[in-house]
Amino acid sequence: MGRVVRFFRRAGVPAALLGAFLALAGCASDAELDTLNPQGPYARTIDNLSDPVFMVAGVVFLVVFGGTGFLWWRFHDDYSDEEYPEQIHGNFRLEILWTIVPTVILVVISIFTILTLVDISSNEDNAMALSVDGEPTMWEPEVVVVGQQWWWEYRYYFGGLEGVDLSDQRNLPPADIVTANQMVIPAGQEIELKITSRDVIHSHWIPALNGKRDAVPGRITFWKVNADEPGVYFGQCTEFCGLSHSRMRMQTVALSTADFQAWVDQQLQPAVEPTDAAAVAGRAIFEAQCARCHVINGVNGPHDETPSTGADLVSNAAPNLTHLMSRTTFAGGIFNLYEPNGNLNRPQLEAWLRNAPAEKPAYAEGRRGMPALGLSEIEIDNVVAYLQTLGTSPSIGIIVATEVE
Amino acid sequence: MSEPVAELTSGGGAALPLGVYSRPKGGGGWRDWVTTVDHKKIGILYGGAALFFFGIGGFEALLIRLQLATPNGTVVGADLYNQLYTMHGVTMVFLVIMPLAAAFANYLLPLQIGARDVAFPRLNAMSFWLFLAGGLFLNFSWLVGDAPDGGWFAYAPNTGVTFSPGHGMDFYAIGLQIAGIASLVSAMNLIVTVLNMRAPGMTLFKMPVFTWMILVVQFLLLFAIPVITVALFLLLFDRNFGANFFNPEMGADPLLWQHLFWIFGHPEVYVLILPSFGIVSEVIPTFSRKPLFGYEFMVFSGIAIGFMGWGVWAHHMFVSGIGPISIGAFTLSTMFIAVPTGVKILNWLATMWGGKIRLTASMLFATGVVSMFTIGGLSGVTHAVSPADTQQTDTYYIVAHFHYVIFGGALLGFFSGFYFWWPKVFGHRLGETLGKWNFWLMIVGFNMTFGPMHILGLNGMSRRIDTYSPGFGFEFWNLFATVGAFVIAFGVLCFAMNVILSARRARGLPPEPPDPWDARSLEWFTPNPTPVHNFDEIVEVSSLDEFWHRKWTTDENGRVVRRATAAEVCQTGDADDVHLPSPSYWPVVVAAGLPLVGFGLLYNLWICVPGTILVLIGVYAWVFEPPDDPDGPFGGGHGDEGHGDEGHGETEESASDESAPQEEAASVE
Amino acid sequence: MSEAIVTEAGEPARGDHDHGDHGTLTGISNNKLLMWVFLGSECLLFGGLISAYLINRSRFHTGPAPGDIFDIPFTSVSSFVLLMSSLTMVLALSALQRGDIRNNRIWLLTTALLGSLFIGGQVYEFTSFLREGLGYTTSPFSSAFFTLTGFHGIHVSVGIVMLMSLAISSYRGTLTQKNSETVEIVGLYWHFVDVVWIFIFTVIYLVPSPTS
Repeated sequence: MGRVVRFFRRAGVPAALLGAFLALAGCASDAELDTLNPQGPYARTIDNLSDPVFMVAGVVFLVVFGGTGFLWWRFHDDYSDEEYPEQIHGNFRLEILWTIVPTVILVVISIFTILTLVDISSNEDNAMALSVDGEPTMWEPEVVVVGQQWWWEYRYYFGGLEGVDLSDQRNLPPADIVTANQMVIPAGQEIELKITSRDVIHSHWIPALNGKRDAVPGRITFWKVNADEPGVYFGQCTEFCGLSHSRMRMQTVALSTADFQAWVDQQLQPAVEPTDAAAVAGRAIFEAQCARCHVINGVNGPHDETPSTGADLVSNAAPNLTHLMSRTTFAGGIFNLYEPNGNLNRPQLEAWLRNAPAEKPAYAEGRRGMPALGLSEIEIDNVVAYLQTLGTSPSIGIIVATEVE
Repeated sequence: MSEPVAELTSGGGAALPLGVYSRPKGGGGWRDWVTTVDHKKIGILYGGAALFFFGIGGFEALLIRLQLATPNGTVVGADLYNQLYTMHGVTMVFLVIMPLAAAFANYLLPLQIGARDVAFPRLNAMSFWLFLAGGLFLNFSWLVGDAPDGGWFAYAPNTGVTFSPGHGMDFYAIGLQIAGIASLVSAMNLIVTVLNMRAPGMTLFKMPVFTWMILVVQFLLLFAIPVITVALFLLLFDRNFGANFFNPEMGADPLLWQHLFWIFGHPEVYVLILPSFGIVSEVIPTFSRKPLFGYEFMVFSGIAIGFMGWGVWAHHMFVSGIGPISIGAFTLSTMFIAVPTGVKILNWLATMWGGKIRLTASMLFATGVVSMFTIGGLSGVTHAVSPADTQQTDTYYIVAHFHYVIFGGALLGFFSGFYFWWPKVFGHRLGETLGKWNFWLMIVGFNMTFGPMHILGLNGMSRRIDTYSPGFGFEFWNLFATVGAFVIAFGVLCFAMNVILSARRARGLPPEPPDPWDARSLEWFTPNPTPVHNFDEIVEVSSLDEFWHRKWTTDENGRVVRRATAAEVCQTGDADDVHLPSPSYWPVVVAAGLPLVGFGLLYNLWICVPGTILVLIGVYAWVFEPPDDPDGPFGGGHGDEGHGDEGHGETEESASDESAPQEEAASVE
Repeated sequence: MSEAIVTEAGEPARGDHDHGDHGTLTGISNNKLLMWVFLGSECLLFGGLISAYLINRSRFHTGPAPGDIFDIPFTSVSSFVLLMSSLTMVLALSALQRGDIRNNRIWLLTTALLGSLFIGGQVYEFTSFLREGLGYTTSPFSSAFFTLTGFHGIHVSVGIVMLMSLAISSYRGTLTQKNSETVEIVGLYWHFVDVVWIFIFTVIYLVPSPTS
């Protein structure tokens, strides 16, 4: 039912043309990027504003389209005589009327637009109690979102962003938590986003939670999201950002307050020392090769500090892998890290380590994107063994809900 | 006529020790076309070149649609896809729609105002060759495998040398720069033509709406082109000379590019659509057999759109991070630009109301514009609602929107114009049956392709993605849209066949008799096809739709009765004492020099040398070229202000001989 | 040369009433109207460049600050020179309109000379900035500064070429009272370039610039 209503709203403009395909559209699968299926207050505010506008537009279209058809039918020349119809040059009153009527309609739409604009541009002073390293903290939820070719970084500063200098995006101050491609938020809280970029312009968009906002290098743009319920909400970079623009995806995972606290506790841990022989060998390979770009807290970056030299990449950064296994996707949110049954998606991870540019287009030779590392199969096994020690896997529920492809 | 020219050449040669220049004297065949300064031939050249580029842009579009037909498409790779969609956009905007408008404007505008040519025929020729040079330069990038890949609006810093190290974006910047000079020169030329050279009695408010819309467009170009010129220069300097305009690492703000681009880019949108509005405003009255409803409102709404078009550019940047106050202001200005557009739609409908509508192919396309553009306009209003735009922008919803505007509005309008003016230009009509196939295939295919994109966009499909995963609900409508694209292609094929078959059918037959459509404006005073001198006698204008009023009048009951037949009103085209400007070699020479300079910037500065020399020779020879008419005003003195500024500077030295048609017009009477 | 003069001399009788501003609807000849329209377009060109400068004038952290490097007295003098050239341009035109070919020539050359002095000043200014470490690629400010003043300099140079062409044709005898409109059109261009400089000078030098 809701789906059918949504279809009508979606097709408000080209309704008449596409009505015949209504049934087919109804079959559309679970569209995770659907813009007309709000799951949070801001997306809902936008939806409540755009719905009536779609309706008005649909009505106006039907009037014009129907009018044209009516005129074709009613006034077509039957070529029975050469008589001219009555020659009317215009009608001042009519002209004024149809200048004023659309103006009035647009004034009404404008009023609601501006009210909504004020609404979604404001921030509330919400705060949540959190324990950070055992210290009780009041956290005003905010996340620093950093785009780069072609993945997203999410940085959490539990001490608040006051006094945190974000002006040099390539050397951001150390954060409490640095993760990638999956933004974990507490449900029911307004999360302020400070969005920026390390290279070109990207755009951060979680359609179910709010509209999009560009990530502009050299600038911090402000946005906010809020999820009604715990759940997983999909996103996609929407500003063309080069070769793998289409492969720059992300998800927002909203957790209950308790789960969020558990997630924070987990993320604050440094990487555990591997014990397994393969994992130890893998760690050595990491330090020799991967550590040029990637960071693992406690290995090549202390627990609370990212290296100030930056990565050997144009954007200066590659994802922090300290809690890799706590995420369920990798490579810019395009591959599953787990099988639906909770096992590691080993073939895909190995393929990625074997030859990343073949899996996801990148200018690896231009130091943009992960290069082919030339690892032997044994080395790959070792690296995988080491990576598996990094972080704890999330629940099966989240693994299934975040499944991509 | 040719004898005295030779005399004068030798006379001028004595004063010009540096060389003797003579003007080409025809010669027939291709040379006629290369050296022509006749606005009609130039118009045909514009049209032909634009249709050539339309083929290229359309082919790119089909490849794009094939790639997106299925999820995880593998027809082209990401790299090639990015080049394809960028070049598709650039080609369709700058090399198809703009030159098609130029084709109609060049051919028709002098005829509609009762002039024998534009004010500066040689500049006009140069505009065309520059446009062609720019277009070929841009497409040359395909041959070196390095086409632009940053999108048609080329957002910095992705187009900077760090992120786009190949030559693609240089091809973009230089190619558009050259085509931009062409548009700017052409705009200046047509403005002077309209302001200075209208037939006696034709006040501004007796001009046909097409001429009005073209005039508004030329003013938009006049003020918008320099802004993109600046932007492209800054981009070029950034890329090639290490400037820092868009480099955030040096502290620059990449939004500067967006502002400059869209200050140009939004007026540009009206540059694309207003000519089509003009065509529709000619076609609908003719085939409704009624005058245009509310002529003054149509003109003023066009002017209003022209003005308001300058105040809405930041609506392209609602999610760029500009402040809420700017967003609010641009929301309001964007909302209200819909008003004059709506007025136009309603006036067209009111024109049809109570008429006797003849559904020719031309009229079908014109009414197609009215309803298809309405969809584009309404979806435009939905993203003028800035909060909603944060969901819609950069998705396929936007792609749908601007295709409804540019394809459904502009391109269909040009097709309407083809069918309407084909007999005027080529002396025979296009076939109606194939014409109707053309219309229905195009309109159905168009809605199949772009209608579903509204749904895809609202389903969350980002624009400019080279592939998508299954499971987002994108599969069905993408496949559907691809099928639609091929239906459009069949429609275009019908048009091509129609052109060929109609020409073949007309071979050996006498040209179309005058006034095939019972039309209204001045161009129909001339026989079909238009003779080289346009008018035997310049028409004295006393009313809007002068041509119609010469044929028809109203009796005391208000019934329309014939006053004269078209054959009586039309001129015969056999005047032989009309002076016309001579052809010239130099416009094409100047235009050939600039792409060489461009190649030099890309590959080796030495290549700039022959390019610059070619430009300088062209300008110098242009300036000292003898006037063709020994009786014309001051012989060789017109070259005095010769100077070497490429592109901009030579504009004003265009010789006084070029105002000859006007003077001749006066003397014939 | 002499032949050319004869050719020219033969014509005024016809040219006088047959061309110029009589044939057009606006009363402005096509050539002059074209120049006006062109200058309208140029306004936006410089508008764009000036905007690019204003946005970037305080982005100089990688090099010298504008307020530390500008030599305002020097630039004021060269600006004054350029403004004076507008006056001489007026004198050149009015001389030709009176039929005073000799004075016309003198004032044309004076105008060109003053323009060249201005360009010389600009070259000196650019080189001294270079010495002080402000190169084209130093900072967004430096790029914007050199681009804006450079574009203006090119416009002045083009004007000088036009003036010299006029002077040459005057020596050849082809610049006479009846085509004084040509001088008028070049004058329009020249005055425009001067007026633009007033704006640029104000924006770059007179509005207090940030210092480091």
